[in-house]
Amino acid sequence: MYRQGDVLIVPITDEAVPSHAVDAPSEARDARGRLVLALGEVTGHAHAVTGPGRLVCEPGPFGPMLLHLPEGGRVVHEEHAAIPLTKGWYRVVRQREYLPGAVRIVAD
Amino acid sequence: MQYVDKWRAVAAATGPADRAAAEEGVCLAYRTAGLAEPERIVWADSPRAAVAVVRSLDDPGRSVRDEVRTRAWAEERRRIHDELGPTGWAELWSLTGARLWDTTRALAERIRTGVVDAPAVQDTADTADTSDVTARETEIRLTLLDAVLGQHDAAWLCAFDGRSDRLQGLATVAAHAGWWWPYEKSVVICERPAELHRDEAGRLDRGDGPALEFPDGFALYAWRGMPVPADFLGGLTSLTPQRIRSEENAELRRVMLEYYGYDRYLAESEAQPVHRDETGILWRIALDDDEDVAMVEVVNSTPEPDGSHRTYWLRVPPTTRTAKEGVAWTFGLQAEAYEPVRQT
Repeated sequence: MYRQGDVLIVPITDEAVPSHAVDAPSEARDARGRLVLALGEVTGHAHAVTGPGRLVCEPGPFGPMLLHLPEGGRVVHEEHAAIPLTKGWYRVVRQREYLPGAVRIVAD
Repeated sequence: MQYVDKWRAVAAATGPADRAAAEEGVCLAYRTAGLAEPERIVWADSPRAAVAVVRSLDDPGRSVRDEVRTRAWAEERRRIHDELGPTGWAELWSLTGARLWDTTRALAERIRTGVVDAPAVQDTADTADTSDVTARETEIRLTLLDAVLGQHDAAWLCAFDGRSDRLQGLATVAAHAGWWWPYEKSVVICERPAELHRDEAGRLDRGDGPALEFPDGFALYAWRGMPVPADFLGGLTSLTPQRIRSEENAELRRVMLEYYGYDRYLAESEAQPVHRDETGILWRIALDDDEDVAMVEVVNSTPEPDGSHRTYWLRVPPTTRTAKEGVAWTFGLQAEAYEPVRQT
């Protein structure tokens, strides 16, 4: 598994990917043609993947997002070093923080 | 995606309205709805002021919000839904409006709450029994329900953008002004905020002043999304560990701890690290009449431009026993499952 700031990218085997996720529609790419895993609302800085592939929103045990990179790719961010990813499926998890009685996501 | 970026900017826009453009949009929206243009358009400096103006209007006519906004939206939504099918509509929404929905809805809701709680509006409410706060609040809430949210309708307008000329009037108002109240003869329309400060997650957030402020001074204070009293922030600069410990409101105490700095508080309260491993350090602070604060201290893997590494703290459940267990929890994992081979 790989970690870039507040995003964790966990490889999963092809067999573990739910069939409906394989067929599910992809998230659109941003204006720069990237798959955005997490976007900073204010700075616009993004954890994003360049190159061919698909991002699927998949609420549930494998979600909230699944990333498929048939040829591998790179995850980039304005403030973090890029991480190369080999081809395959990944689960994308956003970091969270504990609050008494609630949980909130981390904004890095 | 270009629509999302455009409407994200609309929802967060601050500064004086383009009154001429907004008024043109209002008139276009009326004409599109088959209505005569309003006889007069009154500007207000904030939603709070607008509510007072609406309540003081002399013979504004009936509310035409349904014709101008709701019916037009519903029919366009149905048309696009029929065109794209349920899956296509869901996909369109997830790529457009859904991305703006949570932050704009939360902001609009905070403004509504702020208006209801604002004394200036309550003072102008001319209820028969002024001691009946509930009745006054209900009247203000009802007035707020008549509003078209202008820039804060960005999520819906984003989904419709490029697909419907019929909503052009609404979109024009949204791009140039804040909330507005359409009545048959009169329109009350509101300036945008002068100040809007949010954190990276899009929540209202400012430590040294109002996170949201309109030109007339109507303001909301918040720390990382949590509403705080206006006078609370002023006290943050003179905090002491004793003051933090004595704060009875757990949420305000959390804000104090965040502002004061967990590291500083840990040092000054002589807290001891509970556990240390390759992922970071686990700290624990015991609080009277409250659950312990458990924090993992982690170091950013990517150096800052000056070569230093930023240290940060994440609060984790008080049951956490090791630093690794804490970091793993922040990603929804058990400690043994958390094994990053690379981190930046």
